[in-house]
Amino acid sequence: MTPKNTEEPVGVGGPGTAAGTDTLPASNRDDAQGMNVVARSQGQLVARRFFRHRGALVGMILFGFVLLLATTSIGWGLIPGWWDKSPTATGPLINGGRPTLGVWPEFLGGGGVAWGEHPFGQDDIGRDYFAVVMRGTQVSLLVAFLVGVVATAVGTVIGACAGFFRGWTEAVLMRITDVTITIPTLVFAALVATIAGRQGIVFLGIFLGLVTWTQTARLVRGEVLSLREKEFVEAARSVGTSAMRIIFKHILPNVIGVVIVSVTLAIAAAVLLETGLSFLGFGVQPPDTSLGRLITDYRTAMMTRAWLFYWPGIFIIAIALSVNFIGDGLRDAFDPRQNRVRN
Amino acid sequence: MLTFIARRLFVSLWVFLAASLVMFVLAVNVRDPLSEARQLPDGQREAAIAALTERMNLDEPVFVRYFMWLANALTGDLGVNRQGQSVNALLAERFPATVQLLTAATVLAIIIGITVGVLSALRQYSGLDHTVTFVAFVCFSLPVFWVGTLLKQYVAIDLNDWLRDPALAPMVILLISVVIGLACSSLLLGDRRTRLTVFGTTTVGMALLLWALSATRWFADPGLGIIVIALTAVAGAVAFTTLVSGLDFKSPTMRAALAAAAVGIICSFALGPVLADPSLLTLLLLIVVTVGVCFGLGWYIGGELFRRSAITAAILTGLFTGAVIFTDRLLQAFAAYSAHSRIRGRPISTIGPSTPNFDGTFWELRLDSFGHLVLPTMALMLVSLAVYTRYTRASMLEVMNQDYVRTARAKGLNERAVVTRHVLRNGMIPVTTLVAFDIGTLIGGAVITERVFGWKAMGLFLTEAIEQGDPMPMMAFFLVAGGAIVLFNMIADIAYAFLDPRIRLS
Amino acid sequence: MSINPPLSPGDKLSTGAESPGSLAEAAEEVHTAYTLADSKPPLDEEVLKVENLTVGFPTDDGLVQAVRGVSYTLRAREVLGIVGESGSGKSVSSMAVMGLLPRNARINGRILYRDRDMLTMRPNEQRALRGEKIAMIFQDPMTSLNPVHTVGDQLAEAVLAHHLVPRRAALTKAREMLDLVGIPQADKRLKAYPHEFSGGMRQRVMIAMAIINDPDVIIADEPTTALDVTVQAQILEKLLEVKDAVNAAILMITHDLGVIAGMAHRTLVMYAGKPVEIGGTDSVFYQPRMPYTAGLLGSIPSLEGEGEDRLRPITGTPPSLVHLPSGCPFSPRCPLATEVCRETEPDLVTVGEDHRAACHHSDRLAEAEDPTAFFRPDAVRAEDEGDEAEGTPGTDGVSRTDEKSEEGR
Repeated sequence: MTPKNTEEPVGVGGPGTAAGTDTLPASNRDDAQGMNVVARSQGQLVARRFFRHRGALVGMILFGFVLLLATTSIGWGLIPGWWDKSPTATGPLINGGRPTLGVWPEFLGGGGVAWGEHPFGQDDIGRDYFAVVMRGTQVSLLVAFLVGVVATAVGTVIGACAGFFRGWTEAVLMRITDVTITIPTLVFAALVATIAGRQGIVFLGIFLGLVTWTQTARLVRGEVLSLREKEFVEAARSVGTSAMRIIFKHILPNVIGVVIVSVTLAIAAAVLLETGLSFLGFGVQPPDTSLGRLITDYRTAMMTRAWLFYWPGIFIIAIALSVNFIGDGLRDAFDPRQNRVRN
Repeated sequence: MLTFIARRLFVSLWVFLAASLVMFVLAVNVRDPLSEARQLPDGQREAAIAALTERMNLDEPVFVRYFMWLANALTGDLGVNRQGQSVNALLAERFPATVQLLTAATVLAIIIGITVGVLSALRQYSGLDHTVTFVAFVCFSLPVFWVGTLLKQYVAIDLNDWLRDPALAPMVILLISVVIGLACSSLLLGDRRTRLTVFGTTTVGMALLLWALSATRWFADPGLGIIVIALTAVAGAVAFTTLVSGLDFKSPTMRAALAAAAVGIICSFALGPVLADPSLLTLLLLIVVTVGVCFGLGWYIGGELFRRSAITAAILTGLFTGAVIFTDRLLQAFAAYSAHSRIRGRPISTIGPSTPNFDGTFWELRLDSFGHLVLPTMALMLVSLAVYTRYTRASMLEVMNQDYVRTARAKGLNERAVVTRHVLRNGMIPVTTLVAFDIGTLIGGAVITERVFGWKAMGLFLTEAIEQGDPMPMMAFFLVAGGAIVLFNMIADIAYAFLDPRIRLS
Repeated sequence: MSINPPLSPGDKLSTGAESPGSLAEAAEEVHTAYTLADSKPPLDEEVLKVENLTVGFPTDDGLVQAVRGVSYTLRAREVLGIVGESGSGKSVSSMAVMGLLPRNARINGRILYRDRDMLTMRPNEQRALRGEKIAMIFQDPMTSLNPVHTVGDQLAEAVLAHHLVPRRAALTKAREMLDLVGIPQADKRLKAYPHEFSGGMRQRVMIAMAIINDPDVIIADEPTTALDVTVQAQILEKLLEVKDAVNAAILMITHDLGVIAGMAHRTLVMYAGKPVEIGGTDSVFYQPRMPYTAGLLGSIPSLEGEGEDRLRPITGTPPSLVHLPSGCPFSPRCPLATEVCRETEPDLVTVGEDHRAACHHSDRLAEAEDPTAFFRPDAVRAEDEGDEAEGTPGTDGVSRTDEKSEEGR
């Protein structure tokens, strides 16, 4: 345990045992820590637990890498990137468009580590496939972020109101949720996306968010339902605190964990939803492209030029997997009940 | 309980109606159905537009059209599509394949997912648990269409090629054996030595078995034979008895289970002619008879003291023996099926839900649909499998920390009873709600999977309709899919209430 | 613990299971207040003997020494109270007796049930004793019953776990037990689920479950803590009553001295994983020989006395169980602590008839008129060299204790 200096000790029992706290002055506490945990702010505790979660840490690094690669390589809008080829420019096919990226070092009998002219190869009309995949990643990430944020915002508001006000409000909001759930998400999304897709990817993201909020709403409602029975909320109510104040001051800060976790899970789900829709032809429309569209476009080329099929898939998995792991780490971090028994 | 179901039905009905309205408004606005007609040359344009307008009631307001659809739908008429074909007929043609796929994926995902989740929770923080967790995360993150394409291109082709000359390379034998050995040893609790012993024996045993199967070219003409069937049935009897009431060879429970296995084996001989080419109805009847006979066996052999456990163990063993016999018959039919002129040695199919114009015995037909279902089902169920595994595990772990589990231990119950009667029973309650959540995801996944594997089923029915802005097929799809979701939600609610008395009585 | 309390030997323990009839009769006989004086006295026969029990839990921060050498003897029909703050190891030691500690616990010492060491038994033998010979009642009746099984099933399950009898017979036994613990309409209640019972009623069910196999030992872990005050007395009374019905001994674990006072023949006080005082309940209560016991007694709010005198809390908090201070673990909080306390941890020594305490200064407590007065906020802290039991009032008592503890390290 890292010795902290100025904070107050709080009693936190270890698993399976009850442990007290000591009264030693701070300066003497270094070795006499024992089971006591020095009080940290909620944020510090969460961060500490998060970074202990190996999967989350790896997910974080992987996601950061993909994000960095996608945003800096081909640039964004007018901002230029470090990669000199554009996703739209065609060029002569070199070596049948085979990827030049090498990852096996020579001393292991591979072709050597190399980046090359076209690391991910070229597509059938000679575009640099690395640039194309980066463009697809950008679009897929943007859409997924939008979906995640919109879905979480809508879901949180609906869930919180339903959980807090109960009665008619709850009945109406939960029936709205039920109605939304009754239409299969992919079908709902396909219809909405066909209508909104023509307006561009930003609209697509927002509209997809408007059909995928139900999970978050249910989660938040459940959390709020249990919170509103807690003593501190009752106490606030008994002294006449207004409903709005209770929601914003007492309840929302406590559901923030659930909300943050559900943002990550919504983003992971959104990546798969968008790519699935694009695969069916209902998502991102040309001239824009996304990882899902790339897979549809080159599905038939799979036996002859497999790289055209692999690269977008690998990026989809990398994004979804890393975000899922981050979400899992966050859930563990926010929910100390799931703390692992150390043995 | 009845009022609960009635109230639930009433609410579901209104929710379903509201959803159908939302769906209808979206369906008629998704695309202009006249866009193609508008591009026709001047002469034909007006007539085409008029015809379409007439057929699709485009001149009416949306709400009027909705109520017209609703009125017709209530009488069982789902309207006509843009080309004027009856949607009812199209639906009837496309529906069965999708149901098959969804059922297979749902059932497998539930059974495998829950089993793996429970094992993972019981062995928390073991190598098994970590592996399961990681694999589940990977499954969560796999795009269905990508996996489907991969399965189709590699697994199907390679497996078919391999089945032509089914010999296992030594490396493959070693790899499979080591994986199975690791899995078996990680299921055990115990010190390092017992686990190493188990790992060693399972790996070696498995390797020898695989080598023998490969050397005798068993994979080309598989089958179990009566000895293997008998051994498996007895092993099943012992396993189910252990699960139900603990391992005790002298207990009436064990005797009942063994008796059930014996009856099953005798029946497999006696029913030889019936089983040569049975109908589905015969099989269902056999299942019912099996349950009845096993119930009687358990009742009689169990006596007053062991009645419950004996009946449970006997029925489970009986059904298991039946399943083994079923598998044997399927395997026996494999060689003939594979050699069939329409199959030509490529039993794992990648296109469509069944081989067109294929006819054979019951077993060959089952093999045919199995060969077509296996890859799409695998692709489709990955996500659900991961969800069930994770959710079951979390639920089990939560229950294991409850005070009443400690009480159960304090009573002196053995670990098996603690797990089955207290942990499992309570841990499954939240999992029931997952079935309702999951069906919506599966339906979406099925649309994509069917596209990957070129099935002319509900998925294509929907996507074509959206592409053409054709509302009636979309609404038909919604009726089926939304109906399934509402139904599953209701089943989940009722199951929840059934499992949790706190809900039941309030 | 070889010292026997001066109590008259009781009747011979009846062998074999009580017949249902006699149990019901016993329930009827005792209708109103049932006190320790009314209950059958303990026998000389030792049913449970714990010797030098230690329990540790490995954690990221080191080994948590939850129990550091507990020894006691429980005789047939005796009630032994174990008192301590949370974290004193009282619950952990009883869970060790039940064999219910998590797998990672490191347990040493001996736990003898009728001369058989439960720690070296095979798991199955230990399980056979659990619930059959040694039963347990838990703190929170609201969460200790499985919500999805009927009360009757859960009671019957306890019988069926140990006896090969038809289910119907087990349910009959369950109904008798519900009668015995005072649940009306037992027949109907058998088919009810736990959530249909109040907290007090559920605790009665837990008691019924504990006695259903006529155990020799009942471990009651804070059985009344989670209950309404009005219900607490009824439950305690019921416990004494059923103890006599099945001739069991009770290990009563609590942080509430009030519970022990009317309930226990003998009392064991624990602090920081160690017993610090043990003896007949009367001697421990009226002549505490360990300042911690005195402090606990002083921290019971009393109706007598005025102002600050009514409640005298012990300042500070219990020590860390990973890195214990050297010397007496209570010394940082003790008004009597001197240099010797901070250097050597005192052992239990005999301080009276059937009375042992672990304190270097037990004689000073013996001399004091009111031992709890040391914890009065205005009472003077004992000087390291001082002999005076009570000196001039000081205002900085609390902070000086802390300073001393700091110097002591």
